[in-house]
Amino acid sequence: MSSKIALFFRESWLLMVSSLFFGGLLAITNAAWSPKVAENEIKKFNRLAGGLLTGATQFESVKDISMNLGKGKTAAVDIRKGLDASGNCLGWAFVCEGSGFVDTIKLVVTTDAGFTKMYGFGVLQCSETPGFGDKLNIKDGFYQSQFKGVPTEPFKLVKGGDPKALDSNIVAITGATVTSRAVVNALNEYMQQIKPQLVKQGLITQ
Amino acid sequence: MDLLVSLVLGFISIVLINNFVFTKFLGTCPYLGVSGRLDTAFGMGLAVTFVTTLAGIMTWLIDFYCLAGTALEITRYVCYILVIAGAVQLVEMYLRKFFPPLYEAFGIFLPLITTNCVILGLCLFLNIWKVDSFLMATVLSFGAGIGFTMAICIMAGIRENLELADVPECMKGAPITLVTAGLLTLGFMGFAGMIK
Amino acid sequence: MAENQTTVWKAFRGGLWDEIPVLRLMLGLCPTLAVTTGVKSGLTMGLCVVFVLICSNAVVSLMRNLLKPHLRIMMFTLTIAAFVTIADLYLKAFQPEMSEKLGAYIPLIIVNCIIICRAEACAAKNGVLVSVVDGLAMGLGFTLVLCFLASIREVLATGCITFSETFVITVLNPVDKGGWFTPWGAMLMPVGAFVTLGLTLGAVNQLTKKKA
Repeated sequence: MSSKIALFFRESWLLMVSSLFFGGLLAITNAAWSPKVAENEIKKFNRLAGGLLTGATQFESVKDISMNLGKGKTAAVDIRKGLDASGNCLGWAFVCEGSGFVDTIKLVVTTDAGFTKMYGFGVLQCSETPGFGDKLNIKDGFYQSQFKGVPTEPFKLVKGGDPKALDSNIVAITGATVTSRAVVNALNEYMQQIKPQLVKQGLITQ
Repeated sequence: MDLLVSLVLGFISIVLINNFVFTKFLGTCPYLGVSGRLDTAFGMGLAVTFVTTLAGIMTWLIDFYCLAGTALEITRYVCYILVIAGAVQLVEMYLRKFFPPLYEAFGIFLPLITTNCVILGLCLFLNIWKVDSFLMATVLSFGAGIGFTMAICIMAGIRENLELADVPECMKGAPITLVTAGLLTLGFMGFAGMIK
Repeated sequence: MAENQTTVWKAFRGGLWDEIPVLRLMLGLCPTLAVTTGVKSGLTMGLCVVFVLICSNAVVSLMRNLLKPHLRIMMFTLTIAAFVTIADLYLKAFQPEMSEKLGAYIPLIIVNCIIICRAEACAAKNGVLVSVVDGLAMGLGFTLVLCFLASIREVLATGCITFSETFVITVLNPVDKGGWFTPWGAMLMPVGAFVTLGLTLGAVNQLTKKKA
């Protein structure tokens, strides 16, 4: 028995020693760089949301807002209150997810302080087909502009129509109906579910 | 019932829509290297399916119960690759001892499998897609292997016929195979968006 | 000493031309196909591979006399995985946009056949200096190929090479900026990757055949 244990150690000591060594190395690197990584994530959210909420200088997280995803699943929503330099609430920014043509689409959506008007959205993550669904990603492109300053009532997807009209009719991207619909559906779902929860917490009035 | 439907959809999606070879370029090296003949391609596919299923389940369990949410998350890649390398080695030893005929059939492919991107890719994507049920992880792992087998067998079938075709001298072998693979991916793009 | 210098030189030249990865060895195809949608991502990927190759070659070469045959692959992958994690953390901390774009393909460097092949074929047999030079040369060769393919694909797909929002080199003036070139969206899709690599390989075969 003891010879077997000895054999085990003779064969594998190098593996164990180097595991420990590399584990230590990773721990040191992680300790050195992880604050920077966390900072980057906040920066990205703030840059996207700040570009849409003019004047907002800081974002404050709101807790206990969740989404019912159906089939008994719920997920917490990353929603933040945009504040200007003197602490006044300028609006709301939240992360909205929907499954697109290829993969999950993640958007940062901003609304005004009363949650009645949408200021627009920015793209956090999108891997839609280049040349088609990918047009969603174009900053200030025609699809993104359709949401700038529209009321937060349920949106409807239409094919053809005037993309410049700021109403709840959203004109689909040609050749990427699935992507366009995914965005509209996700926005509608999130808006409908988040608003009552904010009212309930007393953060906005009906 | 809902569970069954989501499992079936998950399986179809990973085999056809998110086929690792055609949409994520994973496993391209063996895809080109071993797809010369249909029977070796099928053997390779089966070996990969076997190891993927095993490694997918094991890494999912480790990730879900040990790593997730703790500071150990940084060692994720190291854990994954050690599990895969270990699994491949165990499978090799087990087969050699108990199923010599199977070992002879798989034998040459087994050491290559450690560096097959499909397996590590699957483990990483299970994590990125935030798969949160054991059954789903199992089905996806198995499906990824089946998707790879399908891709490599389709390619092998085409290549057996390509040998008879009149291909320009400089394009023979790998170049024409890559161009063919490109055309195949166009076909598979048609599946995208089938499931929402 | 003279002999040593020639081996170093040979290793260097081997990586950059005689055995240039992807084109000659047909290894490491997954990242080649996946990240060559833009020159910048190709370059980032290439530099990560250079870093990992040099470090893993050095470590493997240092412990080459201690390796046990059946635990060899495990040791290689352990070393590589550790350095890839460091590269990944670095990108996350200092190049967040690139890290997001490359996503799962950075950890997939672990199973990039080039690295494990160099560990096995070169570092496990040679001294530290030769191994490091070999890693550097192989990595640079790989980066060159990535950039070459990426520049073809990006130019045909968008008409220009984009490094950042302010630094854009326009090669073919695209239609939406008032030019004449209609971008080929297909070059960004998987089909563009496979066909570009296939035709490039064909061209390389043709060139080398004439020389021989």
